Amino acid sequence: MSVEMRELTALERGTLEGAPVLVGRPDDRKLNDDLFLPVWEKTRRGWLALFGITLGLTGLLFSAIAYTFAKGIGAWGNNIPVAWAYDIINFVWWIGIGHAGTLISAILLLFQQKWRTSINRFAEAMTLFAVIQALLFPMIHLGRPWFFFWLFPYPSTLATWPNFKSPLLWDVFAVSTYFTVSLLFWYVGLLPDLAALRDASKSKAARIAYGIFALGWRGSARHWRHYRIAYLLLAGLATPLVLSVHTIVSFDFAVSQLPGWHTTIFPPYFVAGAIFSGFAMVLTLMIPARKVFGFEGVITQRHLDNMAKVMLATGLMVSYGYLTETFIAWYSGDKFESFVFFNTRARGPYAPIYWTMITCNVLVPQILWWRKARENTILLWIVSILVNVGMWTERFVIIVTSLHRDFLPSSWAMYRPTWVDWSILSGTIGFFGLLFLLFLRFVPSVSASEVKELRRELEHEAHAGAHAAKRAAPAARVR
Amino acid sequence: MASAATWVLAEFKDEAALCAAARRLRELGQQRLDAHSPVPLHGIDEALGLRKSPVPLIALIGGVAGVAGGYLMQWWMNAVDFPINVANRGFHSPPTNIPITFETGVLLASLSIVFGLFALCGFPRTHHPVFETEGFRTASVDALWLSAEVKAEDAEPVSRELEKLGAVQVSRVPEGL
Repeated sequence: MSVEMRELTALERGTLEGAPVLVGRPDDRKLNDDLFLPVWEKTRRGWLALFGITLGLTGLLFSAIAYTFAKGIGAWGNNIPVAWAYDIINFVWWIGIGHAGTLISAILLLFQQKWRTSINRFAEAMTLFAVIQALLFPMIHLGRPWFFFWLFPYPSTLATWPNFKSPLLWDVFAVSTYFTVSLLFWYVGLLPDLAALRDASKSKAARIAYGIFALGWRGSARHWRHYRIAYLLLAGLATPLVLSVHTIVSFDFAVSQLPGWHTTIFPPYFVAGAIFSGFAMVLTLMIPARKVFGFEGVITQRHLDNMAKVMLATGLMVSYGYLTETFIAWYSGDKFESFVFFNTRARGPYAPIYWTMITCNVLVPQILWWRKARENTILLWIVSILVNVGMWTERFVIIVTSLHRDFLPSSWAMYRPTWVDWSILSGTIGFFGLLFLLFLRFVPSVSASEVKELRRELEHEAHAGAHAAKRAAPAARVR
Repeated sequence: MASAATWVLAEFKDEAALCAAARRLRELGQQRLDAHSPVPLHGIDEALGLRKSPVPLIALIGGVAGVAGGYLMQWWMNAVDFPINVANRGFHSPPTNIPITFETGVLLASLSIVFGLFALCGFPRTHHPVFETEGFRTASVDALWLSAEVKAEDAEPVSRELEKLGAVQVSRVPEGL
C-alpha cells in the first residue's frame, strides 16, 4: 500500500482545473477602466448598424401587433384544432431562455462557483429582456388585450374574482413575479457599479444620470453590511423561483388531457430544457461580445468551457425526457398517446421539424464531449445557435403536433403560420437585440465590483495555498 | 442633526490600517464613523461596532406575509366571496392554491428585502456631504476611505489623529455646504 502522496505542481493543477477564471491580476483601477470602456468610448459603427437593424425589427414587431389588434387573432395562423401556436411557442421559448440568467446569477452564487462572477450581469440582463419578449405573447393573444388587468385580482364592478384553480392564472403570477424579482436582483447587483460610473464620469450629464440611478451609494460599510446579506437572500429566493416558473409553464400543458401534453415528466423536462436553451443563448450573445470588447481576460476560456459543459449536461437531460416520454407512450398502451409519438411526430406532416429537434438537441450537443470542440469558440457559437433553433422546434413539436391530430380524424387540420406570425417572432428577436445593445452601451456588462472581489479572493487563496505548500513540503513524498 | 457638524474624510492604502484607525477613533469617543470601499472589507463591521443586519428578519416577515396573504386571498376569493365550481373540486382546494401561494411569498419577501435595504441605507439620497470632496470619488474605484462626522471643534484634532494613523490624505467638509 504505497500510494504516493504529494503536492500537485502548478502545471498539473493547471491541466486539472483548466483555464483560469481571471487572466492575470489586474488592479482595481485597471478593471474599472477596462470594464467601463464600452460605456465611455465613442459609439462604434458596428453598434450603430446593429442598432439600426434591431430598431427596424422592433418597428416590425409593433406594426404586426397593431395589425393584430386591428384585425383580431384571425390575422394569425392558429385556428381550431391548433388554437395555440406561435404565441405559446414563442412565449415558452423566450421564458426558457431567461432561465439561464437566474441559474448563473443565483444558483451558482449559492454554490460559490467563482466562474459565475464575470458573466452574471450579462446573463441577468438577458433574462430580463427575454422575459419582456415572453410577456408580450400571452398579452397579445388575449383577444381583448386592453383588458389584460382582468387577470389580476382587483376589486371591480364586475364583482368577480379570477379562477385560481387554473394553471393559466398560476402562469400570470409566476411570470410577473419572475420578472419583478429578476429586475430587483439585477438592479441591486448594479448599484456599486452605477456608483463607480458616477464617480468615474467625465461629463456632468453622465454624473447626474448615473448618480440618480446609483441612489446615493457610497460604498459605506453600513451599506455593504445590509447589501451582502440582501443579495444573498435574493439569490436564495430566485433559486426556487426559477424552478417554479418553468414548472408552472409546463403545467399549462401537463394539466390538460391532451395526448403528448398530459405527462408527469413535463416539469423537470421543461426546466432542463429552459436551462439548456438559456445557456445556448448566453453563449450566442457572449462569444461575439467578449471578442468585440476585448473581455477575453475576464470572460475566459474557462467560462465558455463550463457553459458548454452545462449545455451538454442539460442537453442529456432533455434527451432523457424525450426518451421517457416516448417509452411511456408505448408502455401505457394508450392508443392516442402512442399515435402522437409514433405516427404524428416522427412520421407525420411535421416530421422534418421533429427530426430537426432531435438533431439539434440530442445529436449536435454530443460534440461537446470533446475538449477541442469546447475550446473552438466558432464551433461553440454554431452549436449554441443550433441549440436555440432546436429548442424552438421542440416547443413547436410539443404544441402543434399534439393539437393538429385531434381525437377524431374529422377534426384534423394543418397549422401554417401567417406573415404576421413570422413578423412577430422576428420582431421579438429584434426587440431583444435592441434592448441588449442598449444594455451593452450604457451599463457595464461585467460587474466590476464583483470582479474586484474575485481578484482579492484569488489572491488570498494563492497566498493561503503557498503557505500550506510550505508547511506540507517536509511531509511530501512520505511513504 | 445637532450643532454644525464637520465631516472628516481620510484615505487609507490598506484594510488593516483603516480598521485600526476606526478602532482608535472609537476609543477616542468618536461614534459617527463609516468606511467606504469599492468592495466589502473584512473585519470592518467589528472595527466600527456594527451589529448584525436586520435584512433577514425583514425578509422573513415579508415572506410569511406573502405566503399567508396569498393563500388567504385565494381561499376568500374562490371559496367565500365568489365560489367557482371547477370540475366539482371543493371550492376550497388546497393543492391548486400552492403555486400562487409560493409565488406571492417569494414576491413579497423579495420586495421587502429590496425596499428594506433602501430604507436601511437611506436610499435614495443622491446628495451627501462626503461627495463634496473631489478625492472621495476614488472610494468606488480603488481607494479606501474613512469618514467621521464630528463636532466642528473636534475636526482639527481628529484630522491630526488620522494623519498619525497613516492616512494618505485627509480633508474636511463642513455640514450644510
